[in-house]
Amino acid sequence: MARYGILHDLNRCTGCMTCVIACKQENFTRPGVWWNKVLELESESLDRIVYFRYACMHCDNPPCVAACPEQAIYKRPDGIVLIDQEKCQGHGECVKACPYGVIDVNPEQDYFSGQNPPFEGIAEAHRMHPPGKASTCTLCVHRIEQGREPACVEECPSKVMVFGDLDDPKSPIREKLWRSEQLLASKGTQPKVSYVFPQNTSKQVEQRVMKNPRMDRP
Amino acid sequence: MASDKDKVDKESFARTQTGVAEAEEETEGYTFCDGCNEVPFCGIKFYRRGDVVTRIEPWPGFPASPLCSKAYATLQRLYHPDRLKYPMKRTHPKGSSDPGYVRISWDEAYDMIVGHLNRIKKEYSPHAVFFYVGDPKEPRAAVQRLAATYGSVSYGCESSTACRRAAQLAEFLTYGFPTMGDLPTEETKSMLIWGTNPAYSGQPFLCHGRLADAKERGVKFIVVDPRITPTASTLADIHLQPRPATTAALAAGIMHVIFEEGLEDREFCEKWIHGIDELRDYVKDYTPEKVEKITWVPAKRIVDAARLYATHRPGAFLTGAQGTTHDLNATNNHRAILMIPAICGHIDIPGGLPKPTEPLVEMDGPWADGPPKFCMRDKMKGMREHRLDLEAFPAWAEKLFEIQTNHLVEWIKEGKVKAFLGWGFNTMIWPQTHEYQQAIGSLDFAMAVDYFYRPQTHDYVDLVLPAAMNYERLAPFAFFGRQVFGRTPVKPLGECKEDWQIALEIGVRLGHPETFFNGDVEAACNDILGLWNISYEDLRKNQVNGIGIPAKGPALYRKYETGDMRPDKKKGFNTPSGKIEAVSLILEKYGYPGLPEYKEPMETTSEYPLILISGSRVPYITHSKWRGDSPWLLELQRDPLLTINPEDAAKRDIRTGDEVFLKTAYGQMRVKAKPTIMVPPGVVGIMHGWAKANVNELIPRQFDPISGFPPYKEVVCEVVKA
Repeated sequence: MARYGILHDLNRCTGCMTCVIACKQENFTRPGVWWNKVLELESESLDRIVYFRYACMHCDNPPCVAACPEQAIYKRPDGIVLIDQEKCQGHGECVKACPYGVIDVNPEQDYFSGQNPPFEGIAEAHRMHPPGKASTCTLCVHRIEQGREPACVEECPSKVMVFGDLDDPKSPIREKLWRSEQLLASKGTQPKVSYVFPQNTSKQVEQRVMKNPRMDRP
Repeated sequence: MASDKDKVDKESFARTQTGVAEAEEETEGYTFCDGCNEVPFCGIKFYRRGDVVTRIEPWPGFPASPLCSKAYATLQRLYHPDRLKYPMKRTHPKGSSDPGYVRISWDEAYDMIVGHLNRIKKEYSPHAVFFYVGDPKEPRAAVQRLAATYGSVSYGCESSTACRRAAQLAEFLTYGFPTMGDLPTEETKSMLIWGTNPAYSGQPFLCHGRLADAKERGVKFIVVDPRITPTASTLADIHLQPRPATTAALAAGIMHVIFEEGLEDREFCEKWIHGIDELRDYVKDYTPEKVEKITWVPAKRIVDAARLYATHRPGAFLTGAQGTTHDLNATNNHRAILMIPAICGHIDIPGGLPKPTEPLVEMDGPWADGPPKFCMRDKMKGMREHRLDLEAFPAWAEKLFEIQTNHLVEWIKEGKVKAFLGWGFNTMIWPQTHEYQQAIGSLDFAMAVDYFYRPQTHDYVDLVLPAAMNYERLAPFAFFGRQVFGRTPVKPLGECKEDWQIALEIGVRLGHPETFFNGDVEAACNDILGLWNISYEDLRKNQVNGIGIPAKGPALYRKYETGDMRPDKKKGFNTPSGKIEAVSLILEKYGYPGLPEYKEPMETTSEYPLILISGSRVPYITHSKWRGDSPWLLELQRDPLLTINPEDAAKRDIRTGDEVFLKTAYGQMRVKAKPTIMVPPGVVGIMHGWAKANVNELIPRQFDPISGFPPYKEVVCEVVKA
């Protein structure tokens, strides 16, 4: 069985936000809910700005699973962590339990205050997000099941991300895997999302995430 | 207006909802993105049920791919409840706080337009009607044909206001061909990127990913940009951060080192550069130490950059449309940069700065500008003596067919322009915007075609026409080099019409049904495609892969040695001297200095100690577009943000998100501050095109004497906490 993950080479990331909006178009998440985030880290010492995509880590040891009183969160055999939208009651325990701060509860509001675009009425299940349900990146499981990559990976203009089976020695994700690091590895979450950091920035990126993992936009 | 508009929206949405209910099968469609006003376009494959577009993805195998955030947002924009869906005319006099727009029929709209055009032609002159295309560029060909047929030489566009044309003029004057450089190839050893941030502004086929690949192959990068852009952060081996508007001095400093150390391509210089001795003499004074004082770039870095670029051969080159031309020395600043690859001998060699071999002669330039035959450019040239910019900008008027528009205010005041027909135009492009708004508001007649009601422009016109969006347009088709692609539109919402159709129908009603194909857009496209014996139907048959127009042979290099550089097939470059012109004979002819001289920009003072740069892009906004057009994108940035170096912010007790006043001698505005190292100390930056904080009101109506470009990246300013 595969064990899916994403590797980011941050030497190539420009913070262009394509992954953020490609995800919006693919999954139609509600206002303020970003499954894909792009955070930035300014490093005066290095004279550069580091941008990094940031989303559900699809942990091998996901704290959200145990935290859910409804047992709505589960890890599939291929490692993808999903929230069962039927079972979820929106208690928000997973939001608190996730050390990465990448789970949201869907708000009431939508983008056009009821005058929704016509395509929303005929949207597929993965594009429906009832208010009050917990919501996070599904790794585009609906695409993976059709043999495609997650939208953010496929659409990245700078080819920052590599998607693949971490256990498959032939997967392209393995090429740079030895150089990559996990965020908050000390929490024991065993994330399947990893990063190749520009020199001397891994600690600073981690501090940046600890300080505020949200994509607060002015 | 509000109640009328609400009614319209509800009707329209009822209609689209019905469309969904009736639709059964999901089918595929293809179109292009107009999100950033680049042409050629990026390709979108979409899925539709009936006339409802449901989802989109990159067009597989398309030359410009993948898509960016703006392209994905075109789907949300398509169904924005605020879209214009019907023609509207003003009912209150101009200058009223509420224009009182009411819905009218297309017939009434066309009658208004044609009535004014016929009257103005009779009472004044056809040249008193100004035809303008802003963003998107798509309607340019059709609008030029309309202007020419009507008999007006007065055609301009955003490129001939503030975007590409100043750099292009510099390229024509210097090289004799237009170029923004090219991507590095397998042969390339070094890359000079000057004043552009392709990570945010580049077409995906020129995208950052390809540059990042070159970096991984070992190509050495020099990036020149005052800001720490992602392009600089991810690519630069040497990053030069000059003081804004000191370009010609920095270029002179680099050339000084190259000549001083004998690193130039001596044979190329002697044989192919006109004025090489004058250039050598001129840059002698520009020692790295002197240039450091002028530009703030450390002398050692200037030396390192010069050595790297001259010795890692071939060196490629990439510059932007306008990053280097938004100051009062625009043309010469850009000409100075162009001389660097020239003295290194990097011109038209593999892996350097090539001139494309055999571009389509029928096109005579980029597709965006329109094919000359269809645009009736000969007729336009024949009316040259009536050009309004002939006296103020003679070198421009000799080399470029569009009118330089920045003197529009004066022309309207002097009664030389009586009407303005604009497709996708926005007054915020002009410095001291309110002067242009008032001038346009004082015209006999002004018309705008757009997707949304944009008060900063449409409050000043008489008629607003609803444009079909990218999923609803047939024209134009797309060209990439020699590959041509068509699209498969859905039915437009409401009564929207595509830009071309509007131009063609005006032409028909002016009394030229045959010239305007009886209003048939496909027939107009076929008129152009017929140049290569193909039709739109052929494009449909080859929908995904398009049709290639075969080249006669392989790519050629050093074409100046073979006669393939000039239309008359003589050896050399297509300039008056037949050489690259360090000393421009055309500029000398009109009394300008011939060398690309440095001119000291506006000086900072104790009152205005900072330099303001605007016009640089963020990746999810283009000019005045987007913002609310797609809430997905608006969520990424709701307000204009003034970037200021943390050092300058601390001095003024400014923290992230603080409200500040940005002041110049010409105006002030209130915005939020974002302290960031992206801008160096002494420089602040802000995105243009925000209606609620239009930075161009802070820019004076002063212009580069050669190109007429305004100083968007030069004006001195101060920032104070609100």
